[in-house]
Amino acid sequence: MGNTTYLAADAKFPYCRGCGHALVVRQLSRALEGLSLPSHSVVLTTDIGCVGLADSLFPYLHTVHTTHGRSTAMAIGMALAEAVLPASGLKPIVMIGDGGAMIGLLHLVHAAQLNVDITVLVHNNFLFGMTGGQHSAFTPLDWSTSTTPDGNRIPPLDLLALLRAAHAGFLARHFATDSNLNAVIADAIAYPGFSLVEILEICTGYGGLKNLSKGAALHEVAARQGYSIGRLETEQLRPTFAHLYRRDIESKRTPLLVKEGCRVNARDESRPAQLQNEGAADSRIKIQDSKPLHIVIAGTAGERVQSSAALLCRAALSAGLYTTQKNDNPVTQGSGFSLSEICLGPRPIQFTGMESADVVIAVSQDGWNELTTNGTLRALTPGSLLILDSELEMESPAGRVLRQPFRRDATPKRATLAAIAFWLANEPVLPHAAWNSVLVSLPMERRTDVLEALGVGSNLARQGGACAA
Amino acid sequence: MVAEGALAAGCRFFAGYPITPASEIYEVMMRELAGRGGLALSAPDEISSLCYCVGASLRGLKAMTATSGPGWALMSETVQYALMSETPVVIALVQRLGPSTGGATHGAQGDVFLAEFCTSGGYTIPVFAPSNAAECYELTRQAFNWSERLRTPVVLLSDKEVGMTTEPIDDDALAKPANFERTWGDSHAPFAAYDIERVEDVPCFGPAGGEVKVTVTGSAHDRQGHLKKPSSEVVELLVHLQRKIEAHAADMALVSSDLDPEASCLLVSYGITARAARQAAGMLRQQGFPVSFLQIQTLFPVPAEAIQRAAAGTRTVFVAEENLTGQYRAVLAPLLNGRRLLGINKIGSMISPSEIVRAIRRAGGTIPRCDWPCEYSPDAEDREPSRARKAGV
Repeated sequence: MGNTTYLAADAKFPYCRGCGHALVVRQLSRALEGLSLPSHSVVLTTDIGCVGLADSLFPYLHTVHTTHGRSTAMAIGMALAEAVLPASGLKPIVMIGDGGAMIGLLHLVHAAQLNVDITVLVHNNFLFGMTGGQHSAFTPLDWSTSTTPDGNRIPPLDLLALLRAAHAGFLARHFATDSNLNAVIADAIAYPGFSLVEILEICTGYGGLKNLSKGAALHEVAARQGYSIGRLETEQLRPTFAHLYRRDIESKRTPLLVKEGCRVNARDESRPAQLQNEGAADSRIKIQDSKPLHIVIAGTAGERVQSSAALLCRAALSAGLYTTQKNDNPVTQGSGFSLSEICLGPRPIQFTGMESADVVIAVSQDGWNELTTNGTLRALTPGSLLILDSELEMESPAGRVLRQPFRRDATPKRATLAAIAFWLANEPVLPHAAWNSVLVSLPMERRTDVLEALGVGSNLARQGGACAA
Repeated sequence: MVAEGALAAGCRFFAGYPITPASEIYEVMMRELAGRGGLALSAPDEISSLCYCVGASLRGLKAMTATSGPGWALMSETVQYALMSETPVVIALVQRLGPSTGGATHGAQGDVFLAEFCTSGGYTIPVFAPSNAAECYELTRQAFNWSERLRTPVVLLSDKEVGMTTEPIDDDALAKPANFERTWGDSHAPFAAYDIERVEDVPCFGPAGGEVKVTVTGSAHDRQGHLKKPSSEVVELLVHLQRKIEAHAADMALVSSDLDPEASCLLVSYGITARAARQAAGMLRQQGFPVSFLQIQTLFPVPAEAIQRAAAGTRTVFVAEENLTGQYRAVLAPLLNGRRLLGINKIGSMISPSEIVRAIRRAGGTIPRCDWPCEYSPDAEDREPSRARKAGV
């Protein structure tokens, strides 16, 4: 390509007679000519409406005709790709109307915030022309349109003021009839970041007849709304998102083709132990082959319930067992109960739920209350084992209950691990050695913490053993 | 593992918006993608997420976003745009309990219709449904491959229970299909963006910003990509969008079957419920009740041949799925040549293996109705799912 002719020589404009769109298209072509941009480095991204008919007028530019309001968003995606592609200097230019600007307002705001290198030309003719002259968010007060027969009562949006608040770096407003519009558009395209030009024009099909007097009518409309014309004062030039991204990743870039499967667990775990049954054979495992052991651990958010449950799973993995862990908490995440459901078994776990828990560990009132609410306690059998904190206020559930002062002796944050250790001391499901590989994988500070917590649980088991409630 | 699969598939662009239970994919991509030569960023909503992905894909990057039902609802406009403009993109849809905001922290399989039938015109959107962590990895790679190869949006449909359950996987046992790349056009000779020889062909891709001009549109268009009122050329391209998928339906069909030649009934399931169903099939056999089991991994295009092969010789087909109205059951109905078709449905919590066993045992005897294990269930359905059929299935 490398063509410097932009507008088709024999272009037949599809617009109504006198429509400002034709002026803008010509001025855009002149702007591109002035910049001498290679035609393949421009992507004209057009919106829905009459404004979207511009594609066919530019036979040498890339064109992407989009959905209503989304032209800006797709141009953002194209511009962002520049951050990870060989630099091409691609310039997405968005052609959008006032209707598209409102339905896609979020995209304009985010484009300004990100400072993506795109140029947006908002063709503001104050209403929806293609569909019959319905009023838009930009329609001046008192204008009569097909949907405001008694006059528009809603004040129009000042788009530039809004985008200035979103840290846009280049904002300008002009009339389609301005002779220097090509220079303004050229400046906008040359600006290395987000730029937007709002171009005021008249929809001759629907806007002019009822609402404008002849002569300088458009200027009067702008003046009445307090619109300043020309380039607005904005923040100083700042780096584009793509530029910042490239800079930030230089330090952490690794070769693109990382060895497949370098991490295999869904949660950043190291590779699971070889799933052999040797560890299981040594560990006096009481798990039936056909039925995994179902464990529910419940406590309070922020007290390391789920992370302690994860450590139990990792210990089980290193002992050659299969595990699944599911967590639950209120939608607020940081308050109320925190709960983990674990399945442990010598074979791959199919069904990850549980109809009845084999072991229930509850170390706080929040956790216990949730077990009451969610039906776990109702579903217990006489064979279920409950390891509970001594402080819990509760009615006797079905099953065998062991109560110990985990919170008091181990602190609330260590209570879950202490209770797990207490359970394992009573029911040797895992060999002690299973914890070793877990412990060595932890940072030293956390390792000490975990060891102390496990120690409290083991001691409680040794001292009193099974203190039935 | 969805994120791992995406990275292995060569995903270079991710735009996300937080939503339970899909936020973990978003977080992993934000953490990992930059270091692997890609870009991950936060979008201000799900509409933007998918639009950004489409924009990046138009420049040639493999792109993905992840969401749940409420976010998917916002994306359907852009899914259709990707389909019409033949722009590859993968959407991981991690289902939660609906409708509307529903239950953010509860799983469900209620978005099967929502995912598949979201286009005007009812075009087939390929949908893959993993049931565990390993399949999340494998099927995400499949999703990328088919999206690139067919230049169309592809959905990876999991749910909260699949997406947020931690479990070990054996890296050596993972299927690692070779990555497909979309076919690029000659970067020097002008070409029409939607030029095809046969109706089922996939046009060559040219990137926006490349040396050769491309014309992309979501409107009805001719081979050049110019907006046109329907002519025979325009209509052929609309037909082509469906034919290119159908032509590869057999290659895309992925199932996992455990058939028993003695079985008089077939148990079909997918996603999280397939795990309970597989276990239930084992329990039934232990009880002396022969049953065949079929897990569907490619929900759409419907793997009709595999389903009919599995159903051969059986009289009754059960479909276990965690939704109220039997969405995939309705899809299967026309394929079963009058076999009795019964649903095992439930919402609010996972369907358990013993619930499936109970339902099948009761229905397998003289009781002509399916046992609905669901406390919210409507009348048991032992009939053609007429409502769904009207919906275009």
